[in-house]
This record gives sequence, C-alpha cells and structure tokens, in this order.
Amino acid sequence: MGNSEHQPPRSIRFCRNGLLALLSLIGCVCTAARAADSPKEFAVPKEVQSVLTAYCVDCHGAKGKGNVTLEGLGTLKLNERLDTLNRVQDQLFFKMMPPPSAEQPGEKDIRALSAWVQTELRAHKASKLDDRLPYPDAGNYVDHVTLFNGSNKDKPYSPARRWLVSPQIFEERVLDVFKLEGKEREQFRRSALAGVTNPFILPEHAGVRYYDLPVLDGGHLLVMLTNADVIATKQLQAARAKLGEAKAGSPKGPPAMKTTPAAFETILARKDTPTDAELRAAVQTQFDCVLRRKATEQELAQYLELTRNAIQVAGNAEGLRQMLKAVLLESEFVYRLEFGSGKPDEAGRVPMLPREAAFAISYALGDRGPDPQLLKASEEGRLTTKADYEREVLRLLADTSYYRGQVDPSLNGMHIQSHPATHPRLVRFFREFFGYPGATKVFKDVPRSGGYYQNPDRGHLGTPGWLVHEADEFVISHVARDQRVFENLLTSDEYFVYHNMDTKTGLALITEWKRVYETLKDTPWKTKPEEVMQEHQKLLVAAKILDPRTKELWREKRSFLSYMYWFQDTFGQGRTPFTRGPFTHGYYYEHSTSYNLPPTPTRHRYLGVETPQFKEPKDHPLYWDYPVEQPFHVAQRKGILTHPAWLVAFSSNTHSDPIRRGRWIREKLLAGVVPDVPITVDAKIPDDAPSTLRERVHSVTKAAACTKCHSRMNDLGYPLEQFDDFGRFRKLESLEHPDNLLPKPKGSTADVYKTKPIDCTGYLDGTGDPKLDGPVTDSFDLIDRLVRSERVRQSIIRHAFRYFMGRNELMSDSQTLINADQAYVKSGGSFKAVVVSLLTSDSFIYRKKVGN
Amino acid sequence: MATRREFIKAAAAGTGALVVPQYATAKAAGAKPPMRFIFLHRGNGLFPTALVPPSLSKADAEKEAKKDPLDLDLGKHELPGWMNPLAAHKADMTLLQGLSGKMCTTGHHTWCSSLGVFKANERLSSIKWATVDFELAKLFPSPMEHVELACFPIGGGNARPSLNGIATGFSARAAQQPNYAFGSPKIAVQELFKSVSDNKNVQVQTQLSRGVLEFAARRENRLADTVSGTERSKLQSYADSIEAVRERDRKVDGMADRIRPHVPQLDAKYLADEMTTVDRQRGHVEVLLASLISGLTNVVAFTVDELGTEYTGLPGLEGEKVNMHDVGHGKTIGGVAADEIRFRHRRQHMTLIDTIATRLKKVPEGDGTMFDNTMIFYFPDNGETHHSHGTEYPFVVLSGKNTKLNVRGRYIRLPNYGDAGHKTLGNWYTTLLNAYGNPIKHYGDPDPGLARFGIDQTGAIRIFLS
Repeated sequence: MGNSEHQPPRSIRFCRNGLLALLSLIGCVCTAARAADSPKEFAVPKEVQSVLTAYCVDCHGAKGKGNVTLEGLGTLKLNERLDTLNRVQDQLFFKMMPPPSAEQPGEKDIRALSAWVQTELRAHKASKLDDRLPYPDAGNYVDHVTLFNGSNKDKPYSPARRWLVSPQIFEERVLDVFKLEGKEREQFRRSALAGVTNPFILPEHAGVRYYDLPVLDGGHLLVMLTNADVIATKQLQAARAKLGEAKAGSPKGPPAMKTTPAAFETILARKDTPTDAELRAAVQTQFDCVLRRKATEQELAQYLELTRNAIQVAGNAEGLRQMLKAVLLESEFVYRLEFGSGKPDEAGRVPMLPREAAFAISYALGDRGPDPQLLKASEEGRLTTKADYEREVLRLLADTSYYRGQVDPSLNGMHIQSHPATHPRLVRFFREFFGYPGATKVFKDVPRSGGYYQNPDRGHLGTPGWLVHEADEFVISHVARDQRVFENLLTSDEYFVYHNMDTKTGLALITEWKRVYETLKDTPWKTKPEEVMQEHQKLLVAAKILDPRTKELWREKRSFLSYMYWFQDTFGQGRTPFTRGPFTHGYYYEHSTSYNLPPTPTRHRYLGVETPQFKEPKDHPLYWDYPVEQPFHVAQRKGILTHPAWLVAFSSNTHSDPIRRGRWIREKLLAGVVPDVPITVDAKIPDDAPSTLRERVHSVTKAAACTKCHSRMNDLGYPLEQFDDFGRFRKLESLEHPDNLLPKPKGSTADVYKTKPIDCTGYLDGTGDPKLDGPVTDSFDLIDRLVRSERVRQSIIRHAFRYFMGRNELMSDSQTLINADQAYVKSGGSFKAVVVSLLTSDSFIYRKKVGN
Repeated sequence: MATRREFIKAAAAGTGALVVPQYATAKAAGAKPPMRFIFLHRGNGLFPTALVPPSLSKADAEKEAKKDPLDLDLGKHELPGWMNPLAAHKADMTLLQGLSGKMCTTGHHTWCSSLGVFKANERLSSIKWATVDFELAKLFPSPMEHVELACFPIGGGNARPSLNGIATGFSARAAQQPNYAFGSPKIAVQELFKSVSDNKNVQVQTQLSRGVLEFAARRENRLADTVSGTERSKLQSYADSIEAVRERDRKVDGMADRIRPHVPQLDAKYLADEMTTVDRQRGHVEVLLASLISGLTNVVAFTVDELGTEYTGLPGLEGEKVNMHDVGHGKTIGGVAADEIRFRHRRQHMTLIDTIATRLKKVPEGDGTMFDNTMIFYFPDNGETHHSHGTEYPFVVLSGKNTKLNVRGRYIRLPNYGDAGHKTLGNWYTTLLNAYGNPIKHYGDPDPGLARFGIDQTGAIRIFLS
C-alpha cells in the first residue's frame, strides 16, 4: 500500500505511572474550583474526574502537552477555562483524543466527559462548536448513524425564518418588477439588466452554498441604493419617453422597457397634483411589482405621505420615482419570508402560510416565484396539506417550460452558451455538490500542458469553461434520465466531449462533408482550387462549405482549402472530423487530450492555405476519430470524479491535489468530518527533486500532529493521483523540478522532466461496511466501492436536504432523511423522488420559532 | 482656513495656495494625518526601457540590458526626457522595474487585473476580491471611502457606452463587485460635491434621496421592533446599515464648510460634454485634488487612458483622434511616429502628476504638507507593451517623506522573471498593505509559471520595509 498514512487504530496499554499525580490533580481541580468560583458554578463530577484521570492527565497535567493543561482548571480565569474546555470539546468531537497510540476510553466514558464539557460551555453560552453548527462546513457534525437508524422520533421542522434570496432569485425578482415574460425575459436572463448589480454572491466552496444564514448588510445596501435608482428610472422610462421627456433615461444607458404600468403613467401625465386614489393605486402597483403583495392600510398611509412630500418638492415624476425607490429598498424585496401561522401543534410547530408555501415550493424547484396555478392554489386554500404540496410539486416537476433556462449563464461567452435544462436548479444541486465549476477558477501555466490548455480570458472561459460545459451535459443527461442517478454520476464512463449538435444533425453534416471529400479528393483541388470550386459549387454549398451568396469564388478559396486539407487529415486517415472546423474563428476546441483522447488539429495547421507560401504539412498525425453520437465510452474514466472538470477544480495551479480530493470524498461522500486547519499550521509541500507529489505530501503530513487530520484525507485522495492536474490519466508522474529537466524533443513547447511511476493505492474507511472498507488498488477500485456504499447514498441525500432546506440537518430531521433515502431506493434511483419526498416532508412544511 | 477664492486662484494659477485641508491642524490636535494613495493607470503598455535613466554607467547599462538587479541613487542620474515635468520632484521619485504580473489578464484589455492581481475579464465572476486601492482605503477610512475617475474607453473590447457617465470602473469593492467610475469632471463634481452644490436641481435630488433613506430607516427599525432574537438581528443589521449611510451623509454635511472651499471651480471647457482627452484628464485632476484636500476621500484611482480611449488634444496632434491601438501597432498618425506619440502620452501624464504633487506640496498639514502623507503610483494596466504578457509592470512612484516604504529617490530594478529574488505585483501590493497596517500574508494570485523556478512568491518585498 505504498507509504499510506492510514493507521488502523491500535490499542496500546496506557502507562499509569501518573496515577498519584492524577489523584492530586483532581483534588487541585476541585479545591481550586471552590476557591475560584462557587461549587455550583464550577465542579467536576466524579465520573468525569475519573475519565480525565484515566485518559487525559498523564499528558495534559503539569506537562501541558500541546499547550493544553487540565491541571488547575478551576484556578483559571473564566475565559481561559472556557477556552480550554472548547479545545477539549473539539478533540472529543473529532475523535482526535486520546491518540490512537494510547488506551481508548469506552463510549460511556466519552459520553460522560463530552456531556459535562458541553453543559459547562453552554451554561456560559460559550460553546464554539455550537456556534459552528449552522454553517455549511459543519453539516456533517450531526451523527450519521443516529440520523438514519430511526431511533429519533422528534417531529421535524425548519426554524421560522427570513432567508436572503440567492443571486439567481434576485435576478428573477428584478425581472418580475418589470413583469417580463417569454423571449424578453429570457434575453435579460442571459444578459442581465444594464446598470443593475447583483448584491448577492455565494461562497465558492464545493458543496451546498445557499443557506439561510447571511444577513442583509451595508455592502448589500450600497449596491441596492444604486439598483433602486436605476430600476425606478427604468420603470418610468417608457411613459416618460411617450410623454415627450427626452432626458428620461438612466445615466447607465439601460435599454428601455416597453411599457410603464398604467398607474404610474397616470401620475406622470397629470399636470397638477395627483389625487389620493391615484397615489394609492401607484403604491399598490409598486408593491405588486416588487413585493408581489398588497400594501396594508398602514403602509399605504406611510407611502402616501412620502410620495406627497416628494411630489411637493420635485414634481410628479421625481416624487413618484422616490416612492418606487423606497419600495425597492424594502428588506422584504430581498428576503424570503417563512414564518408559518396557526395554532402550534404539540411540538410547537405551525405550517407555512399557503402564500409562503407557494414561494417556498417554487424557489425549491427553480429561481422564479410561483406560477399562476400555484398562486391560485395558495389563494384558494388548496396548499395546506401534504397531499396539496405533493400535487403541486409533481405538477411543477412535470412542467418542462416554467423553470426552463440555462444551467449557468455565467458560462456564456462568444462561442459557448450554457446548456438549457427544464429544471436548472435540480442540475445545480449536483454542480454545487461535486464542485466541478470551480475548474474555471484554477489558472494553469499553459506550457506545462504542452500548449493546448487555455486559461479563461476575455470573452471566454478557456479550456476549463469547455470542460465544465461538458460535465454539465453529463449531469443534465443523468438528471433527465432519472434512474440510479447517484450511481450513474459516480460510475458512468460515457461522456460528452466537444459535442455541439444533436446526433441527427451531426450525422447529416458528416455525410455531406464525406461526400465532398470523396468526390473531390482526386481532383486538382490543391493546384486549381477555383476550377474545382466552380465545377462542384452546388455540392460545396449543400455542405455549407461555400456561402451560396458568394459570387466571386476566389473569396472562398481559404475556406475551401481549409476544409479540404482538414478532410485530408481526417477522412483521408479513415477518421471522422469534429462537426466544426478548427479554423472557425474563435472555436478553439483543442482539449480532447484532457480526456486522453487523440488530439484534434489546431487552427495553426491551416493558416495561410490560400497563399502561395503555404507548405502542406508533411506529418500525418492520427487525429481523434470524432464520435458524432454522444455520450460515448471514454477509456480510463469512471464517473464525475475522473472527469477532467472535477480533477482540474480539485487541483492547484501547478499540481494535482490529493489532500483536497481526499477531503471532498471524506466530507461529501462519506459524511465525515475533518477539523479546520489549525491557525498555527503553515505547512508547505517540500520541493524534493527525486520525489513524486504523493511522496512529498507524505513527507510533510506524516508527523503525528498532522496525520491526525491527514489520515482522513490523504488515503482517499492518493488513488486519484492516476490523473494529473489537467485531468489526464497517467501512469508516470513528471517530476517537475529544475534538477530533473531533460533535453526537449524537437518541436516540444513543454519542459520535459524525468518521470517516476505513480503509486495510486489508498485506503477506504468510514463506509461503515467491513466489506467495502480496506486497501484500494486505484481510483477505479475506490469508486466501485464507494458507489456500493449505503453511507455514500445517504450522504448525498443529506446534502440534497441542505440544498432544498437551506440549512444543516438537525437530529429532529431524521425521519425526513430516512424517507428521502427510501424514496430514492424504492424508485430505482430517482432524484425527482427524493425532491418530492423532501418537499412534502414535515421539515419543509412546518416552521417553529427557535431561540436566539 | 483658505477661502474658496484663494483655492480657485491657486487652481487657476497652477501654483497652489494656502489651502487648509482637514488635517491642517493635526499638529495642534495631536492627530496623525492619514496617508493618501493615488493610482494613475494607463493603457497600451509602458515600455520598461522608457524608464531607464539615460545617464547610467556602462556597467549599469549592461546590467539593465540583461535585466540584472540594480539599486541606484536617482539623484545622481538624469531622468528620461518624458519625465522632465517631474524634475522638481526627483527626490520623491522611485522608478521601480522588474515586477511581473503574469497572474493578471494581459494583452489589450485587463479590467481590474493590475489593481487586483488576478485574471479579470468582463465577467463579474472573475473579480476575486477587493482591488488594492480599496484595501488601502479600508485602512484610512473617509466619508467617501474611495473615488474613481476615468477617461473611459469607448472602443476596443472593453468599451463603455459613454464618455461622460458613471460606468463600471477598473477597481473592485469586493468579490464580484465592480466599482463605478465618473467619466467626466462634470458628473464627478455633481456627485461628489452635491451636498454643497449651488445647483437647485442637485439640491432637490439630494434632499429627496435623504428623505427616502430616512423613510427606509424608519420602516426597517419599526419592523425590527416587532420581532426578536435572530430575526431582529437580521432586520436590525439592515436598519443599522441604512443608519450608517445616513451618518456618512450627516458627516459630509457637517464638513460642508470644509468641503465648500474646495469644490472645483472648473472652466466651462472642463464641464462640457465634449472635450479633448487631455482636458478631461486635467479636469479629473482638479476633482482628484479637491476630493483629497477636502477630506472626502483618501484614495483615488484614475484611469488616465485605456487602449480603447480615443485620444484627442495631444500636443502637436490637436486635430487628430489618436487610436491607441494603432499606436500600439507602430502606426504613424498625423505624420508623427508611434514612438513619439507614446512619448507625448507619457509626458502628458507626467504633467498631470506634477500638478498633483506640486499642489499637494502647497497644502499645509501637520509639520509639513499634504504631499508628505501621499503616495502616487503611475503604471500600465497591462504591463510592458501593447500585446503584453505581464513579464514587467514598470512603476513611477512619488511618495512623501512620511511614507513607510524605503524607496524614495531610487532607481530600482528587481531580479528578472525567474531569477532568485524575483518579485511580482502581488509582492509589491503586499508590501504596501503590510506597511500601512494590513498584515495580509500575500495579496493576489500566484503565478503558476514561477513555480518551476522554485521562487517563493509570497509576502512583502522586505528590503522596501527596512
């Protein structure tokens, strides 16, 4: 197993030499406690004392190993004592103490000690562990086994809450202000509204990112102030233009909206002061546009006063605009409200109001507010029971148009448009869970790739953009098929690569192109291209090689020759070319080697084909035989964890990253926990010329203090060392150190180094299944075992729960999770079944007021 | 305190006068004046060779040609001809060479790469964090926090819709949050000095905006009062934020007497919608000075030009609309060779810096002048040339005597790309941030290409902090 850091726990007899010291320590603790605080405030119970004595004090007595001393705990100032107890709590929680080399206390002892520490800390509201619990990185802190063993019978609920909108919901809410629909809405979805800045961003980590925790703050406000000004101006723009006001546009040059609501136009058109009824109508209209509800009488009174005063100061148009801005600054515009109403049940829970439920369901399935049917159901009182929820969720899941949109418009560029999906938000769960879109944030030294890799730049996201685009299609296809979704995503070796048109269109195009090549290959096309073009114009136009509008054929010479040389390189070698020429401006499809597929010709090969100076390349490389029908089998790959997009996302600028890859598997697939990196750690991977990355990582993480955490990551990440940081499969690692440089082969752009065989063995633990845990031979073996694990399936369910609920699971959510897991199993692996189960669960339907 | 008339007179004469800034009485009050930072960046690259003093010895010239490290007393050397407008400031100058920035977007357009040290592009998602000017602004808070001015590009791949509006700038407030810049001196004056404006319309707009904020604060406070616990804190945070903006407004209002004398009284040509690029630059410099001297801000970023800026009003080419891209490709325009046009661009920029430095040296502050507490940076947004690769980002720096960096009066060439001790833009900005109180370990992205040389890219340039 190579130099694996996995060390199965071994019980070594604990040396009891310190017994005497220990007894006196406990005495000290108690005496000191009495001296420092009243016994009521601080006392160590007998059973806790005995555990401390038996397992902790030998190292953490007077010696204070690791700067933690439990001696004289009671003499410490309160804040120091609490700090020590927090450290003890962390060590116990993460099962890092006692170390594996020491005698281990029993479960009962650990529970007693943990409970006491927790009680002490909570008594002072000082538990740092508790503070962390709601945050995404603490999602796995709730014990997995207990969550799924059915022992907990608590009634599930979500806390009553205000939940800040996501960046995507914000975009949709802005479009809602203008009541945009159809193509117009789609256009602004893709391009965003000029002058409006999205104040919300999600963290970049892999995993669920949209939680109910963030709070509207000053940074948001500064952006919202500008947005309110721009949006209000745009709302009035059409009517003001209609009324002949030339300078009605916003300073940021936004496109005009086609219409202004009638209530606003009425006020703009008046030469004198608007009536109260007109002002009320305008306020109600703005409430409807922005908050999608009616203003209360009290709100109407307040807004009427504001508007009247503003009109008095600046006239109708400007006064009206101030009112519009004020509504746009309401915190409700950017918060989702989920408080519930009614008489609490025996568990203190109330169901969401029908209107709240309508928004909650709609924002779970997409980014838009409820469709008219859902709103109607809520207004008519048909959104109160579990069956009501189920009916609406099933209806909306079957609706292929309401939420339809691009999965990630931020991928869009000059020549790439993000794939559409019927329910982009469902696809986004897997994008966030796997974290592969992070590939676009990792920049590479291009020469190291051999020159093919492009970093994101102006107008495009480069190679990682294409890889993410291709991974998206992989995910979309499995979500759409909705069978054994988790298993297929983790194991399928059928990928989409380059894929830019459907099979039928692609095959038709290839047939046309082949016909051109077969017809012309023996003509003098190289020496008399114009004659050949003339003679076969119809054929070439049909194959879209010549523009039918062109009258002067010499203008098409470059295009014709480029195609013919390219066909010679592909059809001529018995291969199918990609369905877009490499010389097409801006289409740099050159990343097939990321998948270890043969290369595709680059545009440079055909530069100058139309000039007399052009020299036909003498080499005849075997290019990739492009499979028009996709997805297709790609060798040496297995699922998303071996997809280049994921591998790049979990790599550094200059090398692969077994630690982060391993950590992802531990946390996302095994529902495990890895403690935060201590702030004192500043470890760097040494530059050791003759060693592989694995060896160098091992050399720096093998120390006892490091291996406590790294043993949870490294052995899961090492098998993926079969893939380099560009996502390419490898058996040898290039030892990129100046001492290992070799002479460059002729024509090579990349430095060439000595190599060393990859050690891709590892060790799987934490599945809870002895048939699966154990040494693994490589990444494929690791993935095969992971996918058979019940725990892996449940871990994904836990993450789905967080995605749809916007929070970490509580122990009281146990039944919700068990039901969702069973829904998946019984449906043959349908993700939609999981969604239905979650959105009809008590966790989703019920709200409960919780403490501060 | 100087009168507005005196300030106007000083501005008009270009010699400055006894304008008294916010911290003029710093000594009496015992307060330490803040540092000011002015970032002037330009497009089309800045040739490293252009910064080389012509008086280098043969040995030093050879080192320079090989890009070997140099550290020379600038006082013993002549400045390159285009820097003549700065001759009076030689003791305060640093010519800093050898910084690389390959982790930035390079080439024609770079967005906020050179201020943020990451690969920025037109996508908001490419903005990874606040640019260095915003980080420095956090260290020296002011009512406006930061002011950005720009001669916007209206052509090329990074064009703005108008020269005169408020549009996305080249700085960033935070991740995915671009800053907005004022395109014309007129709109900058309107927005920055609206609290003391004589213009009736501006006064009305200001009054209305204040009214809406007051209304919003009242609504959110009332709402917060109806709930408790976490929900209250969520609403209170927003209500407090609104209050903070109102407090900023109140502060600015309270400074009215101090601000009013410094409202730039610009000639009509600087307030017109149509003006030459050179006039736009001069007008912006007046706004820049007024913003700093009045205490509205301590940090200004100024896009002097960008590749897509259509350059007009250049001395000797007054009638031409100079296309910077053509200049980048060596085209002769109006009978003037591209190199000469580049020379004139640079000299024009130096006259702007001279105006800034000279004026700040006339503003008393503490024991000395406002310039003592100022650093001015002049640098290219894209590196060493038109089609740059980020191998070099030459900097012209002017700093007052209270600067915490040990760089004044020197010509410095740092070790070349790939050589031991080589430094990047990230190291340079880390140095600034560390020097002024931000202990960040390293600011900016690493350059993956440097990894193969085994160079530690993190941290400040220690010799500048000694």
